[in-house]
Amino acid sequence: MAQSHDQHQDNHHDGQHHAVPYSEHVRTLVALLFLTAITVVVSVFGAALSTLSVFTALFIATVKVVVVAYYFMHLKYEKKIYSGLVLLVGVLFVALSVLTALEYLNR
Amino acid sequence: MATATAQVNYLEAKKGIMSWLFSVDHKRIGLMYLYALITFFLVGVTLGLLMRYELLNPGKDLVEAKTYNQIFTLHGVIMIFLFIIPSIPAVFGNFFLPIMLGTDDVSFPRLNLLSWWVYIIGAIMALSTLVFGDGPADTGWTFYAPYSVKTGTNVTMSVLAAFVLGFSSILTGLNFIVTIHRLRAPGMSFTKMPLFAWALYATSWIQLLATPIIGITLLMIVAERTLGVGLFDPSIGGDPILYQHLFWIYSHPAVYIMALPAFGVISELLPTFSHRTIFGYKAIAYSSLAIAFVGYFIWGHHMFTSGMSGTARFIFSMLTFLVAIPTAIKVFNWVATLYKGSIDVQTPLLYALAFIFQFMIGGFTGLILGALATDIHLHDTYFVVGHFHYVMFGGTGFAFFGALHYWYPKIWGRMYNKLVANIAFVIFFIGFNTLYFPMFISGLMGMPRRYYDYLPEFHIPNIISTVGSWILALGLILMIVNLIVGRFRGRKVTERDPWGGITLEWQTPTPPPVQNFDRLPELPKNGPYDYEHKPQIKD
Ligand code: HEM
Repeated sequence: MAQSHDQHQDNHHDGQHHAVPYSEHVRTLVALLFLTAITVVVSVFGAALSTLSVFTALFIATVKVVVVAYYFMHLKYEKKIYSGLVLLVGVLFVALSVLTALEYLNR
Repeated sequence: MATATAQVNYLEAKKGIMSWLFSVDHKRIGLMYLYALITFFLVGVTLGLLMRYELLNPGKDLVEAKTYNQIFTLHGVIMIFLFIIPSIPAVFGNFFLPIMLGTDDVSFPRLNLLSWWVYIIGAIMALSTLVFGDGPADTGWTFYAPYSVKTGTNVTMSVLAAFVLGFSSILTGLNFIVTIHRLRAPGMSFTKMPLFAWALYATSWIQLLATPIIGITLLMIVAERTLGVGLFDPSIGGDPILYQHLFWIYSHPAVYIMALPAFGVISELLPTFSHRTIFGYKAIAYSSLAIAFVGYFIWGHHMFTSGMSGTARFIFSMLTFLVAIPTAIKVFNWVATLYKGSIDVQTPLLYALAFIFQFMIGGFTGLILGALATDIHLHDTYFVVGHFHYVMFGGTGFAFFGALHYWYPKIWGRMYNKLVANIAFVIFFIGFNTLYFPMFISGLMGMPRRYYDYLPEFHIPNIISTVGSWILALGLILMIVNLIVGRFRGRKVTERDPWGGITLEWQTPTPPPVQNFDRLPELPKNGPYDYEHKPQIKD
């Protein structure tokens, strides 16, 4: 049973297999390491930036998430609808945070 | 596909307990969930009956105040996390989603088995609080801080259990989303999918996205209890309202994890037993998504009296009223489906009708609680207890038992005694309403929830309620005994389509073979409920 199931899945994936060149993986890795380095630098000089350092760290982390999802998790090669779904999740997350923060600020 | 092994039905394909415990067949996993769920449900019911017995008379009858607090907490935790959240998706979703989509399993069968095991581990953790440590938590199933940070009872274990159970829920949701996107039969576009699949799709997104929030929140409680991190307790710099936000950001959408699959079941039962196309297919399908979406933004209505900002209260109240719209759309479409149908009154249909009736009461009382002014009076009274039992038990619980009676012959290849099933239904229905309706009255009179004692003026509704709990228990016992007897001695069912249903599970042999189909499933021409072009399947 499991065997036929795997075949079933493979059929579905067939059209979507892409040979991604190693160089792309390497470039992505370098980009992520670079962003990590910036995060570290910002945290070291964090005192000078005060609250801004939190936002910078969050911003860099968000960029990293996008890079990972796009290249390592193959969003780049999927149908557009999947990028749309991921975007929707992001919007939901922001909406929940904003609504909670608004309540706190208006208390 | 039509090989010799494909013909062996899934019940007989392999023998022995291990062939069940480690099966990756979605049908067997569905049944393992069923047996576990019913067991925990009965534990929860026993605790419920104990509480009702304590409340028969004012004053102490049976248990101490603290024990009572532990009982309602454990009752709530079991009923929410072990029964009603997994219920329909884990049992009937697992069993029937792949078949209804015309495929042979979910996308990730091993992950599916893992989710069952994680569920069992979480359940053992939750129940272990009965015997280890200082007894089950006494905080209520909501674990509100700062009390949950301070009480000496076993909150840490209960909370960790809920955390682990969350993973099971996430894995099931993930599996269903991928299955629905990737494994639909050729020709089955999204708008040709059965409505049960649509409902599970909307539910799965909530399971996937909302559950992590409660996971992290519960870990924050553990951090505060064990490490003294000041997150929620104001005496060490925390914010208790923040806890309530985080808790309800999950737990309100979780209400739709409970309700949406039930809507899906009802949308299957009604066309089958009125033998006609569902009215407003797209309206029902899209309203599930709308409910899932709007459901994310109304959590604040649990917190109107918490001291949160006035503006937020106003906004949350307004948004709460919005969610009634897609829900009402469904109800109107269901009722319209019955209109001029050739109605065949069978047990599952009775459960579906009771669902509509009771869910409406639950929904309308929800609007009363969603209005700011009335909620000030009714918050934390028995009105709320009546409201959520009507929604969860009168709604989803009844849909669950309706689904069980509906798919029973397909699952086991036997039929229960229909007369006994109908009698059990009537007793169950009367018991349910006798048990919970008086709670609206005592609530309006001002009786607070979560106390083992009450003032003498609330005596009469409490007597009625407790008698109702006995009637309900009688109906439940009769129903379960009838189903168990039917499983072994009921009439054998070999026809594929005993109810005259149209979705793909009625094209497979009864019980289904391991591979689900012995021939390519045929889709009706104009959508899943096109009774005019129903494919003629011969045995
Ligand atoms: C025979 C069936 C049942 C009986 C007799 C029963 C009885 C009760 C009673 C009396 C309470 C209120 C305790 C109090 O506030 O002092 C309660 C609370 C509760 N029940 Fe039930 N119940 C039953 C079934 C269910 C079911 C099927 C569900 C869910 C699907 C459920 C979910 C809950 C929850 C979440 C609470 C709140 C616990 C808390 O306050 O923390 N109950 N139940």
